[in-house]
Amino acid sequence: MPSPVIETIGLTKAFPGVVANDRIDLEIRAGEIHAIVGENGAGKSTLMRILCGLYQPDLGEIRLRGVPTVIRDPRHAIKLGIGMVHQHFMLVDRFTVTENVILGAEGTRWGRLDRRAARRRILEICDRYGFDLDPDLAVEELSVGQQQRVEIVKVLYRGADIIIMDEPTAVLVPQEVQELFDNLRRLAKSGKTIIFISHKLDEVLDIADRITVLRGGRKVGTVKAQETDRRGLAEMMVGRPVLFSVDKEERAPGEPLLKVEGLSLKSGERYLLRDVSLEVRGGEIYGIAGVEGNGQTELVEVIMGLRRPTTGRILLAAQDVTGLPVGRVRGHGVSFVPEDRHRRGLILNMTVWENLFLGRHRARRLTAGPLLRRIVMLGEADELVQEYDIRVGSTGQPVSSLSGGNQQKVILARELAGQPRVIIASQPTRGLDVGAIEFVRQRLIAARAAGLAVLIVSADLEEVLALSDRIGVMYGGRLVKEVAASETTAQELGMYMLGSTTGAKEARDHVL
Amino acid sequence: MSYRRRLLELAAPLLALLFALLVGGIFLLAIGKDPLQVYLTMFRFNLSRLDSIGSILYKSTPLIFSGLAVAVGFRVGLFNIGVEGQYFIGALLASIVGFSLHGLPVWIHLPLVVLAGMLGGMLWAWLPIVLKLRRGAHEVITTIMMNHIAYALVLFFITSVFLDTEQEMVKGLGSPQVRMPKLLETARMPTMHGFLETLGIELPRHVYLNWFFPLGILLAVALFVMLWRAAYGYELRAVGGNPAAAETAGINTQRTMLSAFLLSGALAGLVGLSDLLGYFGYLDIDFPKGYGFTGIAVALLARNSMLGVILTAILFGFLRRGAEGVQAFEGVPMDTIVILEGVIILSIVVAVQIVNWYVRRQEKLMKRRQVTMERAGGD
Ligand SMILES: Nc1ncnc2c1ncn2[C@@H]1O[C@H](COP(=O)(O)OP(=O)(O)OP(=O)(O)O)[C@@H](O)[C@H]1O
Ligand SMILES: [Mg+2]
Repeated sequence: MPSPVIETIGLTKAFPGVVANDRIDLEIRAGEIHAIVGENGAGKSTLMRILCGLYQPDLGEIRLRGVPTVIRDPRHAIKLGIGMVHQHFMLVDRFTVTENVILGAEGTRWGRLDRRAARRRILEICDRYGFDLDPDLAVEELSVGQQQRVEIVKVLYRGADIIIMDEPTAVLVPQEVQELFDNLRRLAKSGKTIIFISHKLDEVLDIADRITVLRGGRKVGTVKAQETDRRGLAEMMVGRPVLFSVDKEERAPGEPLLKVEGLSLKSGERYLLRDVSLEVRGGEIYGIAGVEGNGQTELVEVIMGLRRPTTGRILLAAQDVTGLPVGRVRGHGVSFVPEDRHRRGLILNMTVWENLFLGRHRARRLTAGPLLRRIVMLGEADELVQEYDIRVGSTGQPVSSLSGGNQQKVILARELAGQPRVIIASQPTRGLDVGAIEFVRQRLIAARAAGLAVLIVSADLEEVLALSDRIGVMYGGRLVKEVAASETTAQELGMYMLGSTTGAKEARDHVL
Repeated sequence: MSYRRRLLELAAPLLALLFALLVGGIFLLAIGKDPLQVYLTMFRFNLSRLDSIGSILYKSTPLIFSGLAVAVGFRVGLFNIGVEGQYFIGALLASIVGFSLHGLPVWIHLPLVVLAGMLGGMLWAWLPIVLKLRRGAHEVITTIMMNHIAYALVLFFITSVFLDTEQEMVKGLGSPQVRMPKLLETARMPTMHGFLETLGIELPRHVYLNWFFPLGILLAVALFVMLWRAAYGYELRAVGGNPAAAETAGINTQRTMLSAFLLSGALAGLVGLSDLLGYFGYLDIDFPKGYGFTGIAVALLARNSMLGVILTAILFGFLRRGAEGVQAFEGVPMDTIVILEGVIILSIVVAVQIVNWYVRRQEKLMKRRQVTMERAGGD
């Protein structure tokens, strides 16, 4: 049996109100791909942060290659050969790949940056592990998947042989996930150890050698990937059987509640959106599929009033709202779950309860003259925390102290609680665990049953197919295909998303 | 347990001050003074005399307003370095209204003068914030420039437009002052002597503590309530915390920034009024400068807490009054006092950091002990 490269014994870390890691005994073997799974707030990120020196454990011991070790900080961790690839990339957009890789690890020759040698080493690394990466391109020109590759090269360049990744696939499209996994397999084959967190159990089963399940800060167990399946894992995680598909009833759609007509958005000479028209009826879920960066973000931002369209109209229940500010659009009963929760969804330094009322705080029942009725708000916040199973010590904590998935739940709770007529949700289940995904999907289907119009944007085809009545595929700023969900497959959608069918090709020629 | 934590938290600013005095002491040693003696004089002078207490509060009054002005700006995510210029324009407008409107009763005239001061501050804050929102010009740059314009403008108004040419001179003594006409009696802010007398406190006449001091405290409390209890304050903090998310939630970020910055300007407009209406009674070319910049230090030290500003402003008042005493009784030159003040500010900032770090470490140790104990008892 291979010897453990990392071993933790009784590792414990507490935050005010929660024990995030409770006596964790983990054993990672050299050269394996080890997945960590568990519910939102189970303590996965905390555990990884301890291993890469961001947090110090309160109790317990870490043995690195058999030697008891104190990992002082991330710099120390990388010296010990442990590198972390964060979910939020830490790259400088305008720098080239090479510059980004050597940033903070500058090898100098007689006081000068030796860029050529660095570039050569980067090429070597890419060559050895079969990474497809041009060291001279600026990072801003790279896709999300490529940027992630830069992050991996960064830790390899610094000599890491243990690579930790926190939800690396959450931001990737299926094709990119495959490429990432190919890369990871090659890394593992050449002796690197990989620890990664994911909520997507199929992926975990696909790539991992062994899987450790955490629940409520404790380790439930470690299993071999071949010896378990999705259901088994989910049950280990949540402690009960999980439904993977949600049923929705046939429903005749009602009046169109959201209508977009001939929407275009130009930035300089480039079209970010080109002549997009669609309509979402009451009692209907409309899914927008597409590789990230093909205009989905812009489309929802224009609908919400965050950007002004160059041409075209937006109608909410037959009322023209084009060019109105966000507050007015929301006033028409529109809820919005933005794709990037840290940028647009949360005020990180404010408390959980304050974030639960963002944008709804002026409601009559919540105010008394110019003052907010705190008691009422705190009470309602506690109810929402219960209902959405947000794992938090108290709603008075800053929202930044919540785990990623629980932060997402805060946004969902806020946006679904406002009694909207139209829901626009980008990546609604990003970062959620299987149990929470089931819950959110049920809520969206309940909204549909109640006659709401729901527009979801997702890179996850499985999700789009499971939820939508109709699906529109975006490519190059255009809506290139619109189909009933029952009449299409993931393969077909995937083709349109990559612009590789005739219809899509035509669209691209148009844009260029 | 939490009692010990409380104690540490309370002790933190005191420890910080101690550290600051230590560093200041090194400087005093360097210029050949006995630091212990100097500090002793300072504390005795400051705390044993009623006029010192009054003077400390008087000196802290403008700093409360400027600290509040800067802190409000920071809360909405804007750095108002322009408090300096804003209070100069505020004082200019207040002065004009103060000497030109004859025949009003005091209860109309005085509020008008105060409002004129606030209006002046707002006016001077208006251009930078509009430039920022419309054109993206950074407020730090524009407000600094506005400061210079304000100095020059006020000088111009004093020397060329409203120069008081009818000054009565004591025969054969001195030359006329370069100043604007004196404010009317109805525009002067009364001192607190009368009120304090009813409480049995005899404040010496040479102390000019006036009603702007309680007004400052009242404003700080009002701002605290606004920030943490009112819908507007919530929006202000949201915009300051993450403007993109606030906008996405439907908050009008532009309007919030505009109004908050104008509020900051209005507060700034009050900074000079305690001196103008409560002491000098006229605006001249020697009108005190620098309150705006000190206000930045006051706000930073208070970590932008509205109530904290009261305390840090009084701390600065304490240092300034102490400086007078030390200068008079220990012969420490004024320049050294200025240096000392700077050193003390810096050391306090550093010391607060160190003490906070220490407190956190202590907490961690306590927690670890607790976890161990629970473990021992639990399973
Ligand atoms: N800095 C912090 N301060 C206070 N509590 C924290 C902090 N970081 C994490 N926690 C708490 O510790 C627990 C575990 O959080 P962690 O981020 O490790 O969860 P996770 O397993 O990564 O969840 P997710 O799947 O949602 O990302 C949560 O209850 C969280 O609220
Ligand atoms: Mg996490």
